[in-house]
Amino acid sequence: MTPQLDLRNVTKRFGGVAAVDGVTFSIAKGEILGVIGPNGAGKTTLLNCISGVYRLDGGDIRWHGVSIAGLAPYRVARLGVGRTFQIVKPFGSMTVRENVAVGALFGSDSERPPLRAAFDRADSVLELVGLRMKADLPVSALTIPDRKRLEVARAVATRPKLLLLDEVMAGLNNVEIDDALEMVRAVHETGVTVVLIEHVMRVIVGVCERVIVLDLGRTLADGQPDVVLRDERVIQAYLGERYARRLRGG
Amino acid sequence: MTTSQRWQRILIVLGCAVIAYAVLAPLTSLDGAQALNLPLLTDKLWFRLATITAMFVVMATAWNIIGGLTGYAAFGNVAFFGIGAYTTGMLIAKAKWPFLLALPLAPVAAAIFAVLVGLPLLRLRGHYFAVASLGVGVAVGELVQNLDYRGEPIFGGASGLFMPIFAVPNRDLYFFYLMLGAAGVSIAVTWAVIRSRFGYGLIAIRENEEAAAVIGVNTTAYKVAAFALAAALTGLAGGIFAQWNVFIDQENSFPIAYNVEMILMALLGGTGTVFGPAAGAVVLQLLIQFLSGSLPITLDLPFVPEDAMPVLAQVVLGVLLALVVIFAPRGVIDFFGGRSRLTVAYLRRSLRETSI
Amino acid sequence: MADLVQLVTIGLLAGGIYAAVGVGFSLVWGVLNIVNLAHGALVIVGAYLTWQIFTASGLDPFLTLPIDAVALFAFGYVVQRGVINRIIRAPLLFTFLLTFGLNLIAVNVLLLIFKSDFRSVTTAYSGAGLDLGGIVVPYIRLAALGIALLVAAALALLLNRTRVGLAIQAVGSDRDAAQLVGIDLRHAYAVTYGLGAACAGVAGGLIAMIQAITPTAGEPYTLQAFVVVILGGLGRVSATVVGGLVFGLVEAFAQSIPGSGSVFANAIAFGVMVLVLVTRPQGLLGRLR
Repeated sequence: MTPQLDLRNVTKRFGGVAAVDGVTFSIAKGEILGVIGPNGAGKTTLLNCISGVYRLDGGDIRWHGVSIAGLAPYRVARLGVGRTFQIVKPFGSMTVRENVAVGALFGSDSERPPLRAAFDRADSVLELVGLRMKADLPVSALTIPDRKRLEVARAVATRPKLLLLDEVMAGLNNVEIDDALEMVRAVHETGVTVVLIEHVMRVIVGVCERVIVLDLGRTLADGQPDVVLRDERVIQAYLGERYARRLRGG
Repeated sequence: MTTSQRWQRILIVLGCAVIAYAVLAPLTSLDGAQALNLPLLTDKLWFRLATITAMFVVMATAWNIIGGLTGYAAFGNVAFFGIGAYTTGMLIAKAKWPFLLALPLAPVAAAIFAVLVGLPLLRLRGHYFAVASLGVGVAVGELVQNLDYRGEPIFGGASGLFMPIFAVPNRDLYFFYLMLGAAGVSIAVTWAVIRSRFGYGLIAIRENEEAAAVIGVNTTAYKVAAFALAAALTGLAGGIFAQWNVFIDQENSFPIAYNVEMILMALLGGTGTVFGPAAGAVVLQLLIQFLSGSLPITLDLPFVPEDAMPVLAQVVLGVLLALVVIFAPRGVIDFFGGRSRLTVAYLRRSLRETSI
Repeated sequence: MADLVQLVTIGLLAGGIYAAVGVGFSLVWGVLNIVNLAHGALVIVGAYLTWQIFTASGLDPFLTLPIDAVALFAFGYVVQRGVINRIIRAPLLFTFLLTFGLNLIAVNVLLLIFKSDFRSVTTAYSGAGLDLGGIVVPYIRLAALGIALLVAAALALLLNRTRVGLAIQAVGSDRDAAQLVGIDLRHAYAVTYGLGAACAGVAGGLIAMIQAITPTAGEPYTLQAFVVVILGGLGRVSATVVGGLVFGLVEAFAQSIPGSGSVFANAIAFGVMVLVLVTRPQGLLGRLR
């Protein structure tokens, strides 16, 4: 079975540093996958490579078997790969509903809805993420958690088959995280493959079936959350040699 | 009714009155109307000023598509005006085409030029794009004036290009309605764009180009299309101008001042709205004409000699530009659209937002 | 061969002026992020100041240059502090329009005062020059090149070795961080613009000695300053100097092509600029902004 997304030896350099260095893994349709790693591990860079914002310096990325390396971001989006930004990028002068509607107007090629249909779709997406009540507000009136929801909503409106979420939980308190997890589960249940880049372990353990750990641009581990998180190399990467030794009891 | 709603009503009524006046008043100059002893509301001067005003409505509204909606503040759109003017002018003067056949080629030529120039230029951001587009405006004008072929100026050179007068009864009225029609087309096009998928795409590009790209907007194609659309409309105005004025040269077809005037008009009226630039164009054009002494009402300043008036007018324009930019960056329509109220507090707040 | 050397000489001498015009423009752009469309006006104000002093008092025009510098510095300081500072946080379009408006005001006020007649500064040594084996090097142009390099060096020294200069660089790097370490932003901005204006003033004084001036003669210098900065790269004074000299050479060679002639000045400037922007946006020596 051809994987939905297949990364082979993906490499991206900035100056002399390889931010992503030979990363290889595949994602099957409908998975809900977590990508973790200490700061600077190359998670966002990897995401940018997939969505076409960065050109690869080596390797290939395949979508349903066809190479998408080098495609412009809008083409990758049209194929059905949606993404959010770590620092949200809303369309400031539009209302919440309009932001999401624009996502519905463009997005994946499977449909090209007319204006009215796009707005209707926006409403149902807003319902899904829990922003229905705030649909007519300007973006400036939203709190940070709500702006993150909006970011997700807009990406969902593009009818993605694969959704890449970049640190959606950053800065949220426990209650807000629970709400956000609800939202991610709801999106996943509609059949979208979800990849979560996260720092918050509760999220990974709570919702991901599989976790990939990156460190210094390379894959360190790939497996079920409870196994990966007990992996010594992972602990060492996150907490450092000394603490890992202490945990080991030595 | 709230104050803002009342202001909106007033503005709409005012707007309709102006449009009705503009459309109907010229009819009083027709022989048939004169035979009915209707008062003559328009004369040669009226037609000249009104046609120029309509011309600026076209240009300001067109600029708004690339500058206001898409957020790429082009500073050299006068190049398209001149290209339109010279396309029509050359076809009429050199190739002996009839006016109405030559006119449609003006927007086409301008749009083609916009696509060619836009592809590299629109990759630039901010300052770079602004000055590069300014450079285009200046350079095209200079090239048109100075390009020679075997010693002969191709486009008429410094002495310009003359066209035969377009023989039509009530010529002033004819060209006014033609330019007014172009203004109507500009506004209609803007109206259609703003509520279309294309328009939303443009606004998305303006608000956050990277986000627009990742949700599937082909930003390059959209930007170039917006640029070409603005160019076509501006070129149309140029084409009409050429035959109306009968004579074109670098000075009247590529005036650098037009670049800033059209932007100021859009800013004054409110960028990103359908009627804003048009309103700004009418108001500013009246002001400019008043300052240049072209209106029947003139100002007699005791200590300023007659010939210094146009220069003083430019000074006033500069001061006005500075004031508008400093105090009211969101434009006048912002007030009357109900989003803000024209109070000292608003001006002060606006100032605080932008100063250090 | 002699023609080539003469061409290079002309190019370098002209380039000196471009460099002088460019350094002030580059400073204001690099630190304040303002593309000063009134720069040409500042240059021409300096030119008129030199002309006025020379005509009224007979003072050697070279000696008026320090006066130009001080006067334009003061003028620039006031303009920045009083006017431009109010719009500095607004989007680029507005600073652009504001400086355009200031340019409009300045040029037309000059027109009101001086009318549009051409004025020139002619001294006893105006036409004389060195004759190096057939190559003519006019004294004034040579001195102008020297002074331009001197001004650039002085500016670089000021920026790198003095407290004021370091403050300006800090403000240019990170406005908020500069405030946090106690730099008075309004003052720093005003000083920067004042320095830019001072350099423009000196350049204007030099120009008055070389060509006839009229209030609108400053306009082409703004576009050319922009091209010089793009060509050399934003960031260091030396980059702008190199940009200026290179542009002078490019222009000299372009104008020597039979047929095209000197009328295409703006078109040449624009062509060079687009070429650089599309192929090497950071310029010859600069860093990407």
